[in-house]
Amino acid sequence: MTATVRKIIHVDMDAFYASVEQRDDPALRGLPVLVGGSPQGRGVVAAASYEARRFGIHSAMPAARAVRLCPDAVFMRPRFEVYRAVSREIRAILAEYTDLVEPLSLDEAYLDVTETPGFDGSATRIAAALRRAIRERTGLTASAGVSYNKFLAKQASDLEKPDGLAVIPPDQGEAFVAALPVGRFHGVGRATEARMQALGIHTGADLRRWDLADLQQAFGKRAPFYYGIARGVDERPVQPVRERKSVGAENTFPRDLAARADMRAALEPLAAKVAAGLAAKQLQARTLTLKVKYADFELITRRRTSRMAIREAEDMMPVLDVLLEETDVRRRAVRLLGVIAAGLEARETTEAGHQMAFW
Amino acid sequence: MKIKLQREALLRPLQSVIGVVERRQTLPVLGNILIVADDNGMTLTATDLEVELVAQTTPEITEPGQITVPARKLMDIVRNLPEGAEVAVSVDGDQAVIRAERSRFTLATLPATEFPTVEDIGETRPLVLPQRDFRELIEKTHFAMALQDVRYYLNGLLLELEPGKLRAVATDGHRLALGELEGEVTAEQLQQVIVPRKGVQELLRLLDDADDQVRVELGGNHIRVSLAGLRFTSKLIDGRFPDYQRVIPTVDDRVMEAEREPLRQALVRASILSNEKYRGVRFNLGENELRIQSNNPEHEQADEELTVTYGAEAMEIGFNASYLLDALHAVDGDQVRMGLVDSSSSTIIEDVNDRRYRYVVMPMRL
Repeated sequence: MTATVRKIIHVDMDAFYASVEQRDDPALRGLPVLVGGSPQGRGVVAAASYEARRFGIHSAMPAARAVRLCPDAVFMRPRFEVYRAVSREIRAILAEYTDLVEPLSLDEAYLDVTETPGFDGSATRIAAALRRAIRERTGLTASAGVSYNKFLAKQASDLEKPDGLAVIPPDQGEAFVAALPVGRFHGVGRATEARMQALGIHTGADLRRWDLADLQQAFGKRAPFYYGIARGVDERPVQPVRERKSVGAENTFPRDLAARADMRAALEPLAAKVAAGLAAKQLQARTLTLKVKYADFELITRRRTSRMAIREAEDMMPVLDVLLEETDVRRRAVRLLGVIAAGLEARETTEAGHQMAFW
Repeated sequence: MKIKLQREALLRPLQSVIGVVERRQTLPVLGNILIVADDNGMTLTATDLEVELVAQTTPEITEPGQITVPARKLMDIVRNLPEGAEVAVSVDGDQAVIRAERSRFTLATLPATEFPTVEDIGETRPLVLPQRDFRELIEKTHFAMALQDVRYYLNGLLLELEPGKLRAVATDGHRLALGELEGEVTAEQLQQVIVPRKGVQELLRLLDDADDQVRVELGGNHIRVSLAGLRFTSKLIDGRFPDYQRVIPTVDDRVMEAEREPLRQALVRASILSNEKYRGVRFNLGENELRIQSNNPEHEQADEELTVTYGAEAMEIGFNASYLLDALHAVDGDQVRMGLVDSSSSTIIEDVNDRRYRYVVMPMRL
């Protein structure tokens, strides 16, 4: 363990999907914009602009309910290709400050800038510089939190949102946590919060009074994390490359597919692409998931875990065939198909061989 | 219902049907056995809704009737009665009463009308063949069936009728077993049915190495096999079996012939040091020589040399030793032939003097 205090920045784009929509269509600026599924169906809000948030709308809320809260809201279908492209631009900007960038999602990342030269050694100046760079080069605003570990940096980025910068310096970490209600701790979910409240733990200060053994009794393997953060301690490193959990490929078809033969034909190149992805990373999979989006946008998945390692497209096709059988495709047309290989393991561990199959 | 019979006359049919009674049933009545006593004698029926077994016996019937009683309890009671005891079964209200010598048992019952049975299996043309042959056909192929594969149609045994021939095929996608019986098969056209795994295993339990004839009927959704005093009915798997002919290689040049037993023993020894999970072994074929090698993640290694008959180009190929051993175990003769194509194509294994049974194995990439 190094004795140096780390400098961690958490960057969080403000209302990311909604902001991209407002950036690309000036007519939407200043309006409550919601990105997500259809309010007529069972869609949910993926992102809400700050104008919409004033009505109490937040992400993950059922779209139908959001419309009741704000009947004038403008509903937009998500354009994930665009968001992904913007996200790549942002990551390129972040990479100019350090190699230690850990993306959490399209719109969020941790940076470890302990070793970044210049800026008078100030992480706060780095955060200000990269916020400016993001605004100038993408036209979007980001909030940033600066602190000495990931937990506090993430808490800090919430403090001045939107378009703000907050710093929790090392000598204020413990006091900050002590005053923080447990419901606002990142990493404490709703269920855990309820359990904590029931145990009389309402703030960081309450949490701090618990010793590790008692926490272990109450919360199991998450206990060391809670014990640490109650003291403003979080040793988790910023991990530039997150371990891959799955390899997937999907395609939205220009015209909905109704014939099974067409679907099967469409799955083959997807399976081949997944197989190539596995091969490139020297991985093999145990679980195969078929993703189906019907013509009415309902999305379902069907999965199977196999005893044999899955590597080649030929390993996947018979399984995909059966999974397709378990869906409604006989009666409903399909606009998107996807194949996801998960349960990944390195091929080296099974050097002893790959059993080939007839079909 | 009122009947009387010797302990053994009840125990034997009970033992032949009890196998299909599941220990945990979805329906309470499936834990029971159906007893029917009428002018034709008495039958005991057990079912799990997939496989049904009916056994016959001949008691002294003073009052015909039908009832269902808990299968395992009845079985345990009868089994523990003294040998040769005379057993009386009667129904009193909603209870069944079993009496033997100075013992008396009352069992809970469920009405016979609640018991699901398969009567007519539809139009069929029965096939009559020696019990021994039918048993052999299943025994030498069934091991290659898949186990809980997502491709549900592989979790069973394909029976295929064509004029003059009954064929059985099993495959799990990695290896395949095929057997043929020639006989008086009067099929007008190719007919295929897939018997589910459970039915196949139950059939194997019932069939004996005996000379008498069995009668096989194929209906649209069922297969029925009748043998002395016993009737087996199983649902069929509704699915299309893959085109198995396509994976059977025709080989004429790369043919290796070896004595079966030494080859089997060498494989057993080599597989000791193969990876426990994948059981991969490497074959190196040279002129009249076969080397079998294996190693495991601990870097232990086995090396076997065998004299064989082989005159083609030298080659190397990997196999799962278990698949080869299963095939060699099913072959009877002393000499086996392996027909190889290349290290990524299927290999055929058969008895040099008996081509009714053929085994096909896909190689392993090592």
